[in-house]
Amino acid sequence: MTLNDGPLVHIQNFRMDFGENTVVRDLSFDINRGETFGFLGSNGSGKTTTIRALLGIYQATAGTLHINGRPFRPEDGGSLGYLPEERGLYKKESVIDVMTYFGRLKGLSKPAAVAWSMEYLERVALGDKARLRVDKLSSGQQQKVQLGVTIMNDPELLILDEPTKGFDPVNRRLLMDIIEEQRKAGSTVLMVTHQMEEVERLCDRVVLLKDGVAEAYGTISEVQDQYGGTTVHLKYSGTLPDSAHYRVTLREKHYAEMAVTDAVDEALIVRELVEAGVMVRSFATTKVSLEEIFVKVYGAQNDRAGE
Amino acid sequence: MKRHNLGTVVSFEVIRTLTKRRFWLATLMVPIALAIVIGLVVSSNESTISQTESQKFSKFSFTYTDASGYVNPAVVATLGGTKATDPTRAIADVKAGVVDAHFDYPADPTKQPTQVYGADNGIFDNGKYAAVATHILLTSARDKIGDNTLTTLVEGTFPVVSTTYKNGRESGGINEVIPPMGFLVIFYVVIVLLANQMAMSLLEEKENRVTEMILTTLDPTTLVAGKVVSLFIIGLVQMLAFALPVVGGYLFFRTELNMPDLDLSHLVFSPGPMIVGALILIGGFTLFTTTLVAIGAIMPTARDAGQVLAPLMVLIFVPFYTISIVVSDPHSFVVQLFTYFPYSAAVTALLRNAFGSLSMLEAAIVIAELFGLGIIVLRIAVRLFRYGSISYTDKVSLKAVFAKEK
Repeated sequence: MTLNDGPLVHIQNFRMDFGENTVVRDLSFDINRGETFGFLGSNGSGKTTTIRALLGIYQATAGTLHINGRPFRPEDGGSLGYLPEERGLYKKESVIDVMTYFGRLKGLSKPAAVAWSMEYLERVALGDKARLRVDKLSSGQQQKVQLGVTIMNDPELLILDEPTKGFDPVNRRLLMDIIEEQRKAGSTVLMVTHQMEEVERLCDRVVLLKDGVAEAYGTISEVQDQYGGTTVHLKYSGTLPDSAHYRVTLREKHYAEMAVTDAVDEALIVRELVEAGVMVRSFATTKVSLEEIFVKVYGAQNDRAGE
Repeated sequence: MKRHNLGTVVSFEVIRTLTKRRFWLATLMVPIALAIVIGLVVSSNESTISQTESQKFSKFSFTYTDASGYVNPAVVATLGGTKATDPTRAIADVKAGVVDAHFDYPADPTKQPTQVYGADNGIFDNGKYAAVATHILLTSARDKIGDNTLTTLVEGTFPVVSTTYKNGRESGGINEVIPPMGFLVIFYVVIVLLANQMAMSLLEEKENRVTEMILTTLDPTTLVAGKVVSLFIIGLVQMLAFALPVVGGYLFFRTELNMPDLDLSHLVFSPGPMIVGALILIGGFTLFTTTLVAIGAIMPTARDAGQVLAPLMVLIFVPFYTISIVVSDPHSFVVQLFTYFPYSAAVTALLRNAFGSLSMLEAAIVIAELFGLGIIVLRIAVRLFRYGSISYTDKVSLKAVFAKEK
């Protein structure tokens, strides 16, 4: 197997202890090349710790954490775009100097780093601010610079830890556009986020981290199936029969919601209802949202914590 | 070993510091202040000398009484003075403004003070009375000796040249001490000037939340090493800036500044002490810098770091309090203790190296100790930085950091 054959990110049996405190117990997942991957979990569940261990900032207590088939080294930083949760820039330096410095650290020559930075700054309407000190920019403008530093050198892997945290709506849109561009350009994106609508919109697969292990792992559809699968929304008249194929979760006058436990066969359920004398006025199915799953998984955890 | 991106870090750190207006304002403040002081001293000395000279020959009316018999009336006459017979009356005449001054020479002017009474002409102009009184006695004494050579000998203003020998060879004396002492000066200047900057250097990454982005492109050892190297370069630049007015003052105003006449061509650059001095300087700098960087790595803010900085700085000044023992009795317990205690070793060893009392064995031990500890502390600093710098708001627990080493 060549380095390019396997998953881009491979994490297996990762464990992280801080003294007596075990933050991540036994975590395994892979991220395939070119996919956008959601890394989900409640606050303090160990997501950032996992990212830091993956990037060699922390030393893992146990387990394998590989990028491109080997542990990450700073020398590989040129192919990485990392937007950490705790982020900032050298405030007293000029925008272009900061961007050039990071470009140089990522392996670009000075002229290339300057050229890339100027092009990016023009694109985000900061071309005239290149010589200003970073702390003279508004926080929104600083966020744009931060994003530029993150995606310099067209990274093969983009790791975004809570990417929209603190971003204003304009920059959030810019970020989403950039993620989309990077996806199209073939980058692999790892997103750590609480924004479930972003995950549903952007991510191909996700892992939910809970109590230091993967609570759920797979495509969004697979995870939805794992947590409640499909919900039937039914408008009807008559009396709903009992069935092994569904469970009524909400019953109102002429309206019901039914959780379908197995892979749903809509025709079978409709036939069953009709044969029981139910007049079906409308029949629709929806998947449970990731947000509902999140609340279901971590809400229980929070409830326990609050007890 | 080639460090990935070390050059990038060094050039970034050096250029961004040297291109800051604030840096040059702070740096040039000292030489400008020195230049101003030198200017003031020069002009003050010039005016003082000319004033003293002119005061010697000031024309004013005065009387004198002489119990010693050393005063030559002819000398007094050339200055326009007259002899008085009653000192009490002469003083009364001064008070009444009849004469400007009266000098009362005692029986033994070497043991008893010569009393000078005069009309007040302001604090600076009043000096002329004592100047003239002294001039009269000095000239009278010279006349009494009657031989210029004897006078010079008596005054002790004749030149003496010393030649000493060490291991059968002529030693350089002070000319051999000065060059290696330069390393001590460099050490002090660099550490004192940059200690704060060293402790703050990694705090900047921490306070600006840049650390994680840096650590994914740069090995922390490279970052710390880059900071240390760049600080050393910046320190040398600052030192050069500070040295300029001193060198200028020496070259152009040496006499006015009462600076010693050093014939630099006689300076002796012995290879042994120079190499040892350079190694102790680099070793000591490494140990101090890495220690300061480590402090910066675990402290959440500059203020917290500053509190720990002060005691460390005291350690490099402690050996200076015992400089007389360091020079006269280098094998005493105190000097030996300071020679080998890591944070006083550099200063003590540099002093002893300059004065020639540091044996090669002692030098080797100190150098090995400084470099060895420097590397160990560098590793600790890197580890603290790796964990401490992403502990953004809390002081880092050393126990927690080293517990991660599993």
